[in-house]
Amino acid sequence: MAVERSEQPEAAPVPLIELRQVTKDYGPIRALCKVDFQIREGEVLALLGDNGAGKSTLIKILSGIVPITTGEIRYRGEPVQLRSRQDSTNLGIETIYQDIALVDDMDVMRNIFLGREETGRFGLMRIGSMRRKAMEVLEHTVGISGIKSPEQMVRGLSGGQKQAVALARAVYFKNKILLFDEPTSALSVRETNKTLEYILELKHEGVSSVLVTHNIYHAYKTADRFVVLSHGRVLLEADKADTDIEGLTRVVVNT
Amino acid sequence: MQLLSTLRRSPAGNIIIVFVVAQIACVVFGLLFPQTFPYLQARSIGALLVAVSPLTIMAAGVGVLMISGEFDLSVGSTFALAPYVMALLVNNWGIPAPAAIAAALAVGAGIGAINGVITLNARIPSFIATLGAMMFWRGILLALSQGASQSFRPGGWIQALFTGAIGPLQAQFGWALVVVAGVYVLVHYHRLGNHIFAVGGNLQSAVAIGVKPYRVKLFCFVLVGLLAAFAGVVDAVESSSISPKQGQTMELLAIAACVVGGISLTGGVGSIIGVLFGTGLLFTIQTVLFLLRAPGEYLDAFVGLLIVVAVVFNRVTRKE
Repeated sequence: MAVERSEQPEAAPVPLIELRQVTKDYGPIRALCKVDFQIREGEVLALLGDNGAGKSTLIKILSGIVPITTGEIRYRGEPVQLRSRQDSTNLGIETIYQDIALVDDMDVMRNIFLGREETGRFGLMRIGSMRRKAMEVLEHTVGISGIKSPEQMVRGLSGGQKQAVALARAVYFKNKILLFDEPTSALSVRETNKTLEYILELKHEGVSSVLVTHNIYHAYKTADRFVVLSHGRVLLEADKADTDIEGLTRVVVNT
Repeated sequence: MQLLSTLRRSPAGNIIIVFVVAQIACVVFGLLFPQTFPYLQARSIGALLVAVSPLTIMAAGVGVLMISGEFDLSVGSTFALAPYVMALLVNNWGIPAPAAIAAALAVGAGIGAINGVITLNARIPSFIATLGAMMFWRGILLALSQGASQSFRPGGWIQALFTGAIGPLQAQFGWALVVVAGVYVLVHYHRLGNHIFAVGGNLQSAVAIGVKPYRVKLFCFVLVGLLAAFAGVVDAVESSSISPKQGQTMELLAIAACVVGGISLTGGVGSIIGVLFGTGLLFTIQTVLFLLRAPGEYLDAFVGLLIVVAVVFNRVTRKE
């Protein structure tokens, strides 16, 4: 059922982001080997694979945190460099990490605006405006939030509320591509469903999401396309129409 | 009650409550026993505010650095070396006092920058880097001075600037308030302050978001050095002399004031207002012991006790 990568039709629209023959070495260890990878406009892509398959490395490359060793990255067909977090931000890429997303001892508002503070004269923050916007985006963004005040400390929030803050941060800055690193691992069932629903909602607004997950069920429910990595190589790339959950499970389990 | 619960939730809340309670107790005893416990004498209040100023200035910087997740143990040495250099420039080279003060501040900022570069480039704990710096600069100062003190009497407007008074407000305490206010705005309302909390609270996360920890921390190191030097200058003008041994163990008092003021030893938590009150509490205890004619040695014992109690207290109340 699954379509092998080599059989992929050539005439597909220009992808938003494309990795061509990307290799990443950490010293003697090859984390990714000649990986071709695409993120298309307005899709949800699930990135699957065992621990050590190269999922995190791929996410870090797209986030601009680690540089590629060889290969090419294209944005809407144009070659680009992803050398820093800033580069990836400029392309509208935002990463939502499962565990290291937020600073616990800072309040919600300061977390949302961290690194992108609204400032006035002398670099002083526009607290009033940031507070208002933080509340707006939290209310609009995620029903799971239940966060009372933008000045609440992140430490006291539940897993779902933290996720909401991370999402609010990603969405507020109008990002085109959201990278989710194990978005549901720390969440309750209800919170997980809300988050996955929200990812679909964003898709309809034209936002592309990459879902890194161990949970094939969540992946299948939400994603339009699946990429399975194993030992740094792309093992499978398939559209939802061309695979089913059993087939997908078989590939992932056998990696 | 509303005020009290708001206070308790703010990072400086605990220390403000303790400080106020201590003040009320002192005032009550001062009123009840004006002869044996003359706490409310204008002279002793004035002297207290002057005495508290250098440590407040130093601790404000130390607090910022601690929020960023680093320490500076060399501030006591900077507190002596920077004004000593200033006095040498004036006394031996005839350099005008304003230029010499600028030089002292540059020495402080320079020491801070060296601490920062060593800590951040060699990736070693700042505790070690600045322990070395503390001993190194003290040693240099002792060698340079041959143990002799320098006098410093700039006179004129410089003297007025550092020891004058506007009504009841002495210049020294005025400077301390200016520094605290400036640092407060920086830490809590400037974007750089947001980054200082972030690198101290969760370095990984800050990096992932694109905050540059090297720049942020280096800035903090320089600020600490600068303020330690400034504290030394304020103290030097007040006492008209600089001893090469002054400021020893002051770094620990500054850290103590920060910890008592609610700043976390692991970084990322705290408030500059807390540091102000933490310093105030240390000096209140000192004053009380002095008024009770307790031998000076007891101060260390009390401060030691206070640090431990404060940290335990903060931990317990934060868990709730």
